[in-house]
Amino acid sequence: MSEQEIREGMLLAVWDEPPLDFDPDTLIRRVEQKKSRRRALVAVGVATAVIAVASFALPGLLPRDRDSQLGAETQTSAAPSATPSTPDRRRHQKIGDALADRLQRQRPEFKEVYGSFNWSGPGLKPEMPLQPVSTSQDSDDLYGFVYFTDAIGPTALLVTTGSAISPGQLCNSGTALFCRDVRQNDGSVVTEAEFRDGSEVVKAVSMRTFVDGRRSVIISSYSRNPSTGNGIRQNIPVGVDVLTALTTDSVIAWE
Amino acid sequence: MRKADEQGFREFAAANAASLRRTAYLFCGDWHTAEDLMQSSLMKMYLAWKRIKDLDNLIAYARKVLLRTWLDEKRRPWRRAEQRDGELPDAADATVDPDTTSAKLWARELVHTALLQVPPRQRAVLVLRYFEDLSVAEVAVAMGCTEGTVKSQTARGLATLRTIVEKLDNSSGRVAS
Repeated sequence: MSEQEIREGMLLAVWDEPPLDFDPDTLIRRVEQKKSRRRALVAVGVATAVIAVASFALPGLLPRDRDSQLGAETQTSAAPSATPSTPDRRRHQKIGDALADRLQRQRPEFKEVYGSFNWSGPGLKPEMPLQPVSTSQDSDDLYGFVYFTDAIGPTALLVTTGSAISPGQLCNSGTALFCRDVRQNDGSVVTEAEFRDGSEVVKAVSMRTFVDGRRSVIISSYSRNPSTGNGIRQNIPVGVDVLTALTTDSVIAWE
Repeated sequence: MRKADEQGFREFAAANAASLRRTAYLFCGDWHTAEDLMQSSLMKMYLAWKRIKDLDNLIAYARKVLLRTWLDEKRRPWRRAEQRDGELPDAADATVDPDTTSAKLWARELVHTALLQVPPRQRAVLVLRYFEDLSVAEVAVAMGCTEGTVKSQTARGLATLRTIVEKLDNSSGRVAS
């Protein structure tokens, strides 16, 4: 088979070609449609990527601290009342840290002083608070302990904030050795009380009612460890003077 | 694209579409696929028209695009090639010379059976050399390879084609020249 035969064969092979129905305008239209489809696809892809990146990046960019300006604005617009709509565990922990620090200053001989307000136990046990305290997620109430170890052993102070009770309710919560109101310079009132069981002092309480009169903080010292109900001792580890110093300490952001 | 450029492309496409389709047919052996290949090639050229419109030999560029399009198409794994295992019944056509008809049928067989059995790149070289009548240098440009490669591919392609045609002739009783 010669090269010439191959040439002729190829020419003959296309001899019966079907009629060509080709329109350049149709082809141009198709290309333009394809181009616009591709542009739209790219735009959708870019938009999807931007949304995906933003959804991952935004939570990291927003301030995490609720005390910051943005958090405060959100809080103000969502709930005009003083009570935030969600528990602020970080604020509670700050109070705990400040309490531990101030108690350590008051009583340098105490060891292992730390506060814990992330109470996750069932109900408010083992020590029931003197005031109504809510542990629900929506409440700003506080229930926790400042732990420390003194010469006798480990124990704790019970710290609560919640709806205020009257001084009379506090005074009648046991056999009071004394129960008195002490007006502070800022207008708030501190109720100090010590309670006895027989001849022994079993509880000291300092309650400061905030200026608005609706909420209060109560710090109690027991002759047993209020966080466990055990560790009974003859005397309370901390007197009302120290408790009042803590409830009135301006460094601690009670309100 | 500017109107003048668009008009230039329109004229080029209208003038060369048939020729490109014929070449594509000899590459793939199917008129429908050939038309698709021709249109795909022209679409690619339209997209690049601004850049290529001033080339000296646009038809050579078009052949190159066509060849690349066909080779790319062949490489696609999902491509399903038609299985040609059936035979169309012979229909007598009284209006044509029997000798001519026989030659045409043989030519069709050359393309459908023999040429399609030649490996793709060798087939492309044969089509460009003997159908398009391109020189070795022009084929090398279209294939994107050296002239030496074109020559060796041509020699191998011819040898393969001759072997296949010889087998066909032996089976049909025709004497190979």
